[in-house]
Amino acid sequence: MKWVGQSVHRVDAVGKVTGETLFPGDVNLPNQAYMKILFAQRPHAIIRRIDTSKAEALEGVIAVFTAKDVPNNEYGLIMPDQPVLCGPGSNKPYADRVRFIGDQVALVIAETEEIAAKARDLIEVEYEDLPVVTDMVAAMQPDAPLLHPDRGSNVFCHYRIRKGDVEEAFKRCDVIIEGEYRTPSQEHAYLQPEAGVGYIDEEGRVTIQVAGQWTHEDQEQIAHALNLPLEKVRVIYPAIGGAFGGREDMSIQIVLALAALRLHERGINRPVKIIWSREESIIGHHKRHPFLIRAKWGATKEGKVIAAEMQLIADGGAYAYTSTKVLGNATLLCTGPYEIENVKVDSYAVYTNNIPTGAFRGFGGPQALFAAETQMNRLAEALGMDVVELRLRNVLREGSLLSVGTPLPKGVSIAQVIEECAKAAGWQQTEDGWKRPPKPQNPAPHLWRGIGFACGFKNVGFSFGYPEQCWATVELYGGAEIERAIVRHAGADVGQGAHTVMAQIAAETLGIPLERVRLVLSDTALTDNSGSASASRMTFMAGNAIKKACEAALEKWRAEERPVMIRYQYRPPATTPFDPQTGKCEPNFAYGYVAQAAEVEIDTETGHVRLLRVVSADDVGKAVNPIQVQGQIEGAVVQAAGYAVLENFVQKDGYVLTQHLSTYLIPSVLDIPERVDSLILEYPDPLGPYGARGVGEMPFLPLTPAVIAAVHDASGVWFSEFPLIPERVLRGLGKLKPLPAS
Amino acid sequence: MAIWTHYYIPQTLDEALSLLCREPQSKAIAGGTDLLLELQQGRHPPVRTLVDLSQIAALQRLEMSQGALWIGASVPLNRVIAWPPVRHFATALCEAISLIGGPQVRNVATLGGNVAHALPAADGAIALLALDAQVLVASPEGQRLQPLLACYAGPGKTALQRAEIIVAFQVPACEKEEASAFRRVMRPQGVAIAIENMGIWLRRKDERIEDIRIAVGPSGPMPFRARQTEQVLRGKPLDEETLAEAEKVLKSEARFRTSPHRATAEYRYHLAGVLLRQTLQTAWERTQLNFAEELGPLSVKG
Ligand SMILES: Cc1cc2nc3c(=O)[nH]c(=O)nc-3n(C[C@H](O)[C@H](O)[C@H](O)COP(=O)(O)OP(=O)(O)OC[C@H]3O[C@@H](n4cnc5c(N)ncnc54)[C@H](O)[C@@H]3O)c2cc1C
Repeated sequence: MKWVGQSVHRVDAVGKVTGETLFPGDVNLPNQAYMKILFAQRPHAIIRRIDTSKAEALEGVIAVFTAKDVPNNEYGLIMPDQPVLCGPGSNKPYADRVRFIGDQVALVIAETEEIAAKARDLIEVEYEDLPVVTDMVAAMQPDAPLLHPDRGSNVFCHYRIRKGDVEEAFKRCDVIIEGEYRTPSQEHAYLQPEAGVGYIDEEGRVTIQVAGQWTHEDQEQIAHALNLPLEKVRVIYPAIGGAFGGREDMSIQIVLALAALRLHERGINRPVKIIWSREESIIGHHKRHPFLIRAKWGATKEGKVIAAEMQLIADGGAYAYTSTKVLGNATLLCTGPYEIENVKVDSYAVYTNNIPTGAFRGFGGPQALFAAETQMNRLAEALGMDVVELRLRNVLREGSLLSVGTPLPKGVSIAQVIEECAKAAGWQQTEDGWKRPPKPQNPAPHLWRGIGFACGFKNVGFSFGYPEQCWATVELYGGAEIERAIVRHAGADVGQGAHTVMAQIAAETLGIPLERVRLVLSDTALTDNSGSASASRMTFMAGNAIKKACEAALEKWRAEERPVMIRYQYRPPATTPFDPQTGKCEPNFAYGYVAQAAEVEIDTETGHVRLLRVVSADDVGKAVNPIQVQGQIEGAVVQAAGYAVLENFVQKDGYVLTQHLSTYLIPSVLDIPERVDSLILEYPDPLGPYGARGVGEMPFLPLTPAVIAAVHDASGVWFSEFPLIPERVLRGLGKLKPLPAS
Repeated sequence: MAIWTHYYIPQTLDEALSLLCREPQSKAIAGGTDLLLELQQGRHPPVRTLVDLSQIAALQRLEMSQGALWIGASVPLNRVIAWPPVRHFATALCEAISLIGGPQVRNVATLGGNVAHALPAADGAIALLALDAQVLVASPEGQRLQPLLACYAGPGKTALQRAEIIVAFQVPACEKEEASAFRRVMRPQGVAIAIENMGIWLRRKDERIEDIRIAVGPSGPMPFRARQTEQVLRGKPLDEETLAEAEKVLKSEARFRTSPHRATAEYRYHLAGVLLRQTLQTAWERTQLNFAEELGPLSVKG
């Protein structure tokens, strides 16, 4: 193929390298005013009174808005359980309370950012503190303080899977492994903190330019909160400086639109600009869910896993965000990519006064697979069987039934992916099964090395009955030949290169040079709903929509129509939600498969864990742009290495103690694995455009359990909690002695 | 957001001193890698006037004179590192400042700032203490040479007055049979201040340690000299018995604390033993090197 499968230059490369490209923080409009937000800065309280008079009296202050200025004071991606602004005078019950420190209380708009900040500090808020609950298990107790009194319980989601009879099956097991696992929170730490401008456009629409993941969903949530018809709201995405799920939910979108609208109503037609500091960003947007997972798995001595019982509890923080979907995913993935006859899962999402949790690369998968894969590695140890061998004896194959009682869609490749990864990492297939490579040599007596293995899978696209769809529009211009093709698409390029892939697929399908494809992107006034840049779905969904739109356009072109315009909506096969009793469903229409091997070195004197080498085998169906795929693999491995080894997000009593990037450490170039071997596998997905699946999240999934297994290989110790910060490692190794009594 | 109103770039020491005396709310600035961050994060009282020390010739000195290295207080660290005498005659200092921040920080950060900022675990300061450096301080009354620790009043508190400027550091050059080494343990990411660091200077006589200085951070409010540990090691051979005793004494005389989300005191006590053994061993081995020989790769960060 001429364009698909080629590592063409990214369409956004030149602008980004020269600095010409504008990110939301760079967009400045004439006569703009500046906004600052007053955050609650306390975890749980009722706001009795807000006095904004001193702030309003400050010279240079244009307006101060509070809850009473929000037309419909609620929002939420899945359920509207969060006030736009917390405080009295709201049209919704219980919107007078704050439930985490990043709840927004007031907006100040002023001539300069300094004045806005000063005025913000002059706002007087009288709080009546409420009891704070930050432990998810405590929050589940019947007498726990309720975050949302109208709901009657802090447990806001519960799924069940019942397949076969685990009790009976455990009786037949030769080995049973039980574990209790805890996973940490994680901050997205995208390069570009939240920023944007809000204004009324030339057609009278309330317009915002921000970074997000789904223009049309932002539009809908803004319209809902402002009581406006959809077409009166316009959302535009300039270049986006990273997202990783952290921009799925609202941060500044609604309040920017609200400010622009309310100023306009007062006859002040000035754009409003906001840029969050890193510290505001860290408390202002959601985090990855911490999970508590209890696992009990059993196998026969032949290496057949026949029973798995799981209990999952996810800390949802103060509001639902996408928790119900994250939990669904975790519920499905918590038994790994294995066919297990008897499965019982109970999973819960719980409100606490912590920062809300939501989408983050992997979407519940990393937590679920950490538990599942560690269980698998420990079972292999107990059985005296190689970890690859055990996996291949249990892995899902074409036609295998998932825990939810239905088979995977066609194109199941996890067995091949495991084998390819194992081979690349030094495993050998012998007459009596797979054999791991010899343990790496320790370079010094205190430096211990080991190798670990894990695998995983994850859905591509929205799951569990969501009406999944994606629009694309293609216009063809020219005479004898196509001189120009215009592709309109809302899909967000969050830095992953989605727009380049869209152009490649259009050029390939139309059979024209890439330069002739022009993209019109990410503007609700010019493009149709594409769904979000999440669930590793953009290549699959946008690719299918654009490919089919191009095919239809070509047909008309061949029939001599000039110019051609095709608007096309791609809809994949329908999925179904969990059955409330048994969990039975058809959860997804496509998957990506991944396996990884990691080699680590533990410094047993300082406790530092270093990643030496990671082999990541990813079945992406078809690598539309191989170097971008490699970028996704390496990026995911680095981000997952941070998750596994050093990112330690600390909250205490609802307060964040790691509010700076100097206290919350993400990997720097000094910390990343010395070598990442990306094995790009291409087992086509029958439904994918040119066979493509997805890749954004998969290489994140198995890294933590692979690292945990490598640390076990090196030290003989199983860690059931991470990140593997030095003190945790030394304690685990029994090397950190209690302080001498002084 | 502007964080100062006036910025002066004096060319002479006198000019700088009189600016600092004359201007209210004034403050000296060298590389600004500590000061600007503190101002921006609101951890420093507001300043009106910044007096830039980077263009004053007296503070840019780099020379060997009468058995000592003279290192100007505002020479950027990358230039100090590249000056061969530091590597050979004050190896601990070269190692220490090679680990500060990253290349961008070292392009502007200075030793004057590292000491005047007065943190008990600043890498430059720990190495200077182990090397027994003297500090040349200028004030409106004149210049004086004082021991390093006389610059300290408490954690993050310098004993220097506002109109006092560190001009240079006088570091005795290592002689035959003498050597130094520096080690630190960082949080994984490897920027910002060490969890624990140690500088050791020693003189060897045959198979014994004739004299030794050990500096550790952060133990107590200022860079810490482990004098009792030094006493244990003086005159002893470097064997397991001596090491075990030294480790015990170090752990009893040092005062390590827990810093939230960075390190517990427990971890720091553990590391003290690890660092003592590593640093001592390296310094010991270096005493056998001829100065003409290459030291081999230092743990210098790219
Ligand atoms: C990313 C980063 C990483 C860092 N990593 C490390 C590290 O690994 N180890 C470490 O020790 N430090 C580290 N630091 C701290 C800092 O870089 C050093 O302390 C540096 O040496 C300070 O020098 P400066 O010239 O920038 O000081 P400045 O910020 O200019 O000044 C600091 C203070 O010293 C005063 N001052 C400066 N020069 C003089 C003088 N000649 N006489 C009197 N007072 C003076 C100033 O008034 C101010 O109070 C790091 C900083 C950053 C930003």
